[in-house]
Amino acid sequence: MTGLLEIREKIKLIYGRYEVFILPVVKFLLAFVVLNTVNGKMGYMTQLDNVTIVLIVALLCSFLPTSFIVLFAAGFSLAHMYAFSLEVAVVGLCMYLIMFLLFFRFSPKDSLVVALTPLLCSMNIPYVVPLAVGLLCGPSSIVSLGCGVAVYYLLQTVIASVPGINTMADSEAVEKIRLIIDGLLGNKAMLVTIAAFVVTALVVYLIRRLSIDHSWTIAMAAGAMTDIVILLVGDLLYETNISVAGALLGSILALAVAKVIEFFRFCVDYSRTEKVQFEDDEYYYYVKAIPKMTVAVSSKTVKKINTQRSKGTAPAHGTALERPVRQGAKNGKGGRNAAVEKSAGSRGGAKGRNQSRNGGRKGSGRSVTIGNIPGEAGNQDGTMDFEELF
Amino acid sequence: MLNEDRVILMTHMASYECGEGKKNVKIGNYFRSDYIAIQVLKALLCGTIAYGIVFALYIFYDLEGFMQDIYKIDLLGFAKNVLTWYAISVLGYGALIYAVCTIRYARAKKSLKRYYQNLKKLNSLYHEEV
Repeated sequence: MTGLLEIREKIKLIYGRYEVFILPVVKFLLAFVVLNTVNGKMGYMTQLDNVTIVLIVALLCSFLPTSFIVLFAAGFSLAHMYAFSLEVAVVGLCMYLIMFLLFFRFSPKDSLVVALTPLLCSMNIPYVVPLAVGLLCGPSSIVSLGCGVAVYYLLQTVIASVPGINTMADSEAVEKIRLIIDGLLGNKAMLVTIAAFVVTALVVYLIRRLSIDHSWTIAMAAGAMTDIVILLVGDLLYETNISVAGALLGSILALAVAKVIEFFRFCVDYSRTEKVQFEDDEYYYYVKAIPKMTVAVSSKTVKKINTQRSKGTAPAHGTALERPVRQGAKNGKGGRNAAVEKSAGSRGGAKGRNQSRNGGRKGSGRSVTIGNIPGEAGNQDGTMDFEELF
Repeated sequence: MLNEDRVILMTHMASYECGEGKKNVKIGNYFRSDYIAIQVLKALLCGTIAYGIVFALYIFYDLEGFMQDIYKIDLLGFAKNVLTWYAISVLGYGALIYAVCTIRYARAKKSLKRYYQNLKKLNSLYHEEV
């Protein structure tokens, strides 16, 4: 466990240090995968089904807010629908508008959920989404979850209705609209999946907030079971043809992913739980404090060592005040000394403070202190410190 | 001279201002009634547009039948039916938004109160140093 905790701290440290680069890369990859999946599943507009265009758009998404991934994915899917049939595109646009006007108002920041849900659904591993939403987001995020599932089934309906629409004449516009709407409203699998995911996310959210030991683990297990039960009951009632083995395997995978999320987000040591009780003028307080599992990460810190003046380096004249500095800077002889030592640092914030105290603003930078002559205005020991960071 | 407590407090506050605080400050600029009224009005507008879209889809769904029966159906009764559904759905949506906004406003105010307490604490830390 200690090894894992050390790895976690290192990952956090690396993420904290290179967040500026990691986030755009992750957004780029997500946008690339989402747009490629849309192109792969639909691909009716040949101009858009081009890796160069996908790369350019993904690059754009890398420095735009996450919601733009959803926007571009919606634009791509609408363009493909338009290339296939104008009527289908109109229905798709209406669906997107209704979702945007009514539902995204609740949780506009959950664009990642809306992007990931259809993506994971198309990869047949959607069961991780409700667990992750329940663990990491608030109850309003279930709206985004439902919208994500609805988008996936909209695209599935469009893809499934291609042979039927191809046989229709251009004048049969109303029939095409009717086919898509019927396919969407009559899709019991969509309703069952939305119900299962929404209830699962709510169950996970409610249980993980309880003041009980191992609440996160209990929440994810209860959520996975709720998900499977609702999907199976829905299958029995409406014959949704949901693969039972797939749901079971997917739920086990979802549990594994949820455990990883728990490890990074809520890793606590229940054996050291403290329950304290105190009061003030107005209230009685019953407090349960559970310490987080942390481990000190060994890291390189910098120790400043003042110059050891050797005999004969003392200045002869007043103008020699700067001489040792210049000598040290130019020749690197006698005037400066540097040492790097290994020490145990604490977690993120504290480590940052340690570094700043030690003069190292950049994590692994080496600091060199150049001594000065006695009597110069500076530190108490008569030296003036200059620091160079490498 | 660097005061560690002050730096920690300022970091927390800056992080709050950049993230959640930005949204909460916007909410906190309104009086409760004004904020909720604006949000509900927006919701009614959005609800009306969405209802219009759904109604248009409903008409297009059976356009031929509708055009054939347009002279036979009781147009007044049809309009009354449409308006009743409009009132139920849009007002229901407005009520939902009202509840959500009430909770959001209360949370934002609570969070801002904590933020202003921290500001006071920061101010006192400065004074202590002086």
